[in-house]
Amino acid sequence: MAIGRAVVLILSLFGAINVSAFDDVEDYLDLQSGSLMGLAHASYGARLDSHNLMIGIGYVPELSYHKEMLLYSLRYRYENPTSWDIKGMAFTPFNFGVGVLIGDHPDLFVQLPERYPDGYYTPSAFRIIFNYQAALQVTPQLQAYFDMSIMDVGFIGYIREPDFYHDNYDYLGLEGIMNWGFGARYVF
Amino acid sequence: MFFDVKKLKAKFIALLIFVFVLSGCDYEVSPWSLDADCSDEVSIARNIERLKAYEQKVGTRSEYQVAIISDPQQYPGSFEKLIKHVNTLPEVDFILLTGDLADTGTKAEYEWVCKVMEKAKQPIFAVIGNHDALAFGKDIWARVFGPEDYSFTYQNSKFIAYNDNKYEFTNVPDRDWLAAEAAGDAERDYTMVFSHIPPWDFDLTLSQELKDLGVDLGVHGHEHSFDYWQITDVQLPHYVVTSTKKKGFGLLTINPAGYTLENCTTSGCTVAQLRNRNAAL
Repeated sequence: MAIGRAVVLILSLFGAINVSAFDDVEDYLDLQSGSLMGLAHASYGARLDSHNLMIGIGYVPELSYHKEMLLYSLRYRYENPTSWDIKGMAFTPFNFGVGVLIGDHPDLFVQLPERYPDGYYTPSAFRIIFNYQAALQVTPQLQAYFDMSIMDVGFIGYIREPDFYHDNYDYLGLEGIMNWGFGARYVF
Repeated sequence: MFFDVKKLKAKFIALLIFVFVLSGCDYEVSPWSLDADCSDEVSIARNIERLKAYEQKVGTRSEYQVAIISDPQQYPGSFEKLIKHVNTLPEVDFILLTGDLADTGTKAEYEWVCKVMEKAKQPIFAVIGNHDALAFGKDIWARVFGPEDYSFTYQNSKFIAYNDNKYEFTNVPDRDWLAAEAAGDAERDYTMVFSHIPPWDFDLTLSQELKDLGVDLGVHGHEHSFDYWQITDVQLPHYVVTSTKKKGFGLLTINPAGYTLENCTTSGCTVAQLRNRNAAL
């Protein structure tokens, strides 16, 4: 499957960059739930200074409100060095990211199926996700975080017609486009 | 100092974030959930009930209007402005929404449109568009609105909604169902059909088939511009409504002597001009 091959390729690139190019790269494992990334989403991350690159795979089981599917992600996150001390734990409130999420299900497509004329739709399996995180360093190796995300169509809609969201949703209209989740990452 | 201001600030911000997260946003496992948060007020069954109740209340109307809005995809704000405007038009008895409510078929897009539809004072009837069927849109449509094909009668006229999104569904439109629904036309004032896509260029025989069934008018969207045409040899008018992005809507005025169609914006209306076209075009 094309998606699987792409995931293997990107993982290989990650490994190559990490091993050969940067001694200062910090590896970590990230586990997230919600915020559009799946009921559970496991990612391998590499951190260099304030910059993070993550590749992950998520899963949603068959639910009353969701079909079973896998999700793949490639994400970038910028961590602002600002942090506050909360009972000896570092709280970093300004982390922003963007990523590509790919849904793997027969009802979604990466390549336009043959039955459609060329250019009829853009791929329905791709979504761009913007996110904000507030993280708490629980131990030197373990970090917990809240994640708030916005999907591409929500971001575009909010920019294009802000009055609609302001008038119909709370918190400056962000309630209408934002989602939340939580997670933890372990440095190894 | 009695308070450590820095620590207090950090705790306060953390608390704010926590409260915001838990109260302001949805815990969504993916963009492709099926459980769009729409009230029953937008469902087709509920709106048929509402229109029936309204008809019983007002009795026979010598003249009434139908507002036609189409393709609100990606522009819920413009859609809301149109609905608020239509709410001020006293002769509009119901609204037809001719498809493409969503752009990529996601739950969030349906919810934004539902938010607006719930503000319509009149019954509002949506028909499925091709974009509505993308991703898991078909499932969301079934949960929120109900059937893709349906009909209702009002003031001795029948309004038939049919799914004609050929790439997304197989065997559409359902011609047998259409024939069964259109039967009995002689006893009615009008039989009108509405669908998202006008009869396709490679399926223009549909216009003839509808004409043969006794249909008096077809109402559609999809093309994002106003149009009003009939095939010269068929003489069944098809009215196409522009998109909400262009802030336009159609106004159908019906009385026993006939019907008129107007291309409208919130500033005013102009009478739609019927043009003839050849089947080969």
